[in-house]
Amino acid sequence: MIEVRGISKRYGDLQAVDNLSITIEKGHIFGLLGPNGAGKSTTISMMCGLISPDQGAVQLNGEQPTAKATKHKIGLIPQSIALYEELTALDNLSFFADLYGLPSNLKAERMEWSLKFVGLQDRARDTVSEYSGGMKRRLNLAASLLHDPEFIFMDEPTAGVDPQSRNKLFESVFELKDLGKTIIYTTHYMEEAEKLCDRVGVVDKGQLLALGTVDELIDQHGGHSSVHIRSEAGEESFMTANPVNDLMARLKDLTTVENLSLQRPNLETVFLNLTGKQLRD
Amino acid sequence: MMKAVIALMKKDLKLLFKDKMAVFFTFVFPLLFAFFFGSIFSSSGGAKGLKIAVTDLDQTEKSQAFVQQLNEASEFRVTETDEANAKELVRTGKQVAFIILPEGFGENYGGIFSGQPPEILVGIDPARKAEAGYLEGSLMKLGIKRFELAFSDANEMIKQLDFSIEDIQQSGDMPAEWKSLLSDYLPKFKELTEQELAKQPDGAGSTGLNFGADGDNPMMPLKITKEEVSVQQSGPRNSFSITIPQGVIWAIMGCVIGFAISLVREKTLGTLDRLAIAPISRTQILAGKALGCFAAQAMVVTMLFTIAYFILDVRFDFIKLLLAVIAAGICFVGVMMFFASITKTEQSVAGMTNAFLILMGMIGGAMIPLFAMPGWMQSISHISPVKWAILALEGAIWRDFSYIEMMTPLAILTAIGVVTFFIGTRMLKLKQS
Repeated sequence: MIEVRGISKRYGDLQAVDNLSITIEKGHIFGLLGPNGAGKSTTISMMCGLISPDQGAVQLNGEQPTAKATKHKIGLIPQSIALYEELTALDNLSFFADLYGLPSNLKAERMEWSLKFVGLQDRARDTVSEYSGGMKRRLNLAASLLHDPEFIFMDEPTAGVDPQSRNKLFESVFELKDLGKTIIYTTHYMEEAEKLCDRVGVVDKGQLLALGTVDELIDQHGGHSSVHIRSEAGEESFMTANPVNDLMARLKDLTTVENLSLQRPNLETVFLNLTGKQLRD
Repeated sequence: MMKAVIALMKKDLKLLFKDKMAVFFTFVFPLLFAFFFGSIFSSSGGAKGLKIAVTDLDQTEKSQAFVQQLNEASEFRVTETDEANAKELVRTGKQVAFIILPEGFGENYGGIFSGQPPEILVGIDPARKAEAGYLEGSLMKLGIKRFELAFSDANEMIKQLDFSIEDIQQSGDMPAEWKSLLSDYLPKFKELTEQELAKQPDGAGSTGLNFGADGDNPMMPLKITKEEVSVQQSGPRNSFSITIPQGVIWAIMGCVIGFAISLVREKTLGTLDRLAIAPISRTQILAGKALGCFAAQAMVVTMLFTIAYFILDVRFDFIKLLLAVIAAGICFVGVMMFFASITKTEQSVAGMTNAFLILMGMIGGAMIPLFAMPGWMQSISHISPVKWAILALEGAIWRDFSYIEMMTPLAILTAIGVVTFFIGTRMLKLKQS
């Protein structure tokens, strides 16, 4: 379990994170959703012990993330491709495995598992510079899983990734969840958060604006559904809190419906309602 | 957790060897620098050949003619002097060898068919094996000329035959069979030579008699007696003794720039974040980087000094050299850490480190040797760590520093290294946290 209590971080005049508190249950996929510059990366950097909060505290299973024993339980997939591109995939993995002090038999086993997990076992001896962007992202993930971490922090792992590699990455995230890992996933794509996350925290300007499951967030902050009908009476649109009942009632009065659309609110509308701006602004 | 530090070092060395430009500037360029400038200085100092001191104790026509041949030979640069001074010049390393023509040289030089081969005494440092071989070969070549002289001039040949016939008649220890044979043969040979001479037009008495190739002659041209001379080193043994320390500095500068860039690159790529969340301390991370830089320096210095010893004839005190290399390594690892800590991008660290090291190299003797600098520049050079590194290396190579004298450059280098390393690591840790 991860407990974040009132953490704050300031860089000069910029309040990057402001009194943020969350609790993440073991085995959950938790999403931090917000636009660029919202404070997501700073938040997970404090959660995994990379930087210290000015205020507040983070505990992973009751321990500080900077404790040596806890560091063995943390896997970080940075936003950038944090690999040595001049070296082969094997050289990279071997080096990172050595940092965690894996004994040689376990090291070989974990390297093989990681490469297989991300589907790069056939390209293991190629230098990373020869990889496509998607392959580099997958190796970036593999390098973080070598020591079999319990907590996996993924900082915008799909940035600049083609749809095929993105889907492969989503599959990997679900597989990791099935293995009992706790995953913290930052993104500014609401589709990713909706698809992957058990719970989502919406952040902007360093503040946690809302927290809950996707459905809870939509129910609480999404507003009404939008209904659009084209019929013999012409075109009409209306907003409703109860779209099914309201739509059924309206259809009783019509004989010919040419087009009907119902748009349920999503995390984009949640964010819009919470901040007054689009996620990608 | 030494395993992690070693892993960091190995990774950095792998990365270094993957970078062709870094390999060139770290390993190849310093060697080319040392070899190129060493060759230039070497050839400008000895364009005409081996520097030899010659003493003619015989003072005969023949010995003077031989000294004249030495003077005219392109293989030598001759200084004529007395015996004591000749030996002193070689002992102090100012001349490569001395040649002494003892009394009786001229008499034996003239005897072709009788007597002993002319004897000369050659003194040379036994360590200079290549020069000794070259010198002996060149002297033998000149010695053969005495046969050329005798056999190519009929008048000279008749004189030689008269001298030999008389010598044989007076000889008491020559076996009777040989005495009889030569007493019969040489007068006939002289008669034949006189007949040949008579056939020549007037004034052509020195026409050759064509007795065959001189190289096939079995008689010994010279008898060379060698004397080993212990050279008292009072300056660089050769120009490479100066350019190799300079090459070492260029190699170390290449390592410093390469590793400073790689450390900043770890920050910009994000790999430093990976290292930071691994279960190793920040001190271990920086120690791994420092060890990698130090190991690269050690490799290139070992390569340069191996080549210097076995190919370029550079000699050094191993222990003092080891101390100098370690102190220089500590100093420049600290400098690397400092520059990596105060810069944010690869471009800025490359620019700043290059500018600093080239400036320090210019005033510290990496381009112009320290002893060749004007006085005011030598004073300025005190601020350059390059100067102290070169001084320490030269102290172990040719300045013949005592351990006490070595202490000054070693202490300064170590102090610079410790201070810059401390500042650099503190700043890096602060920036990260």
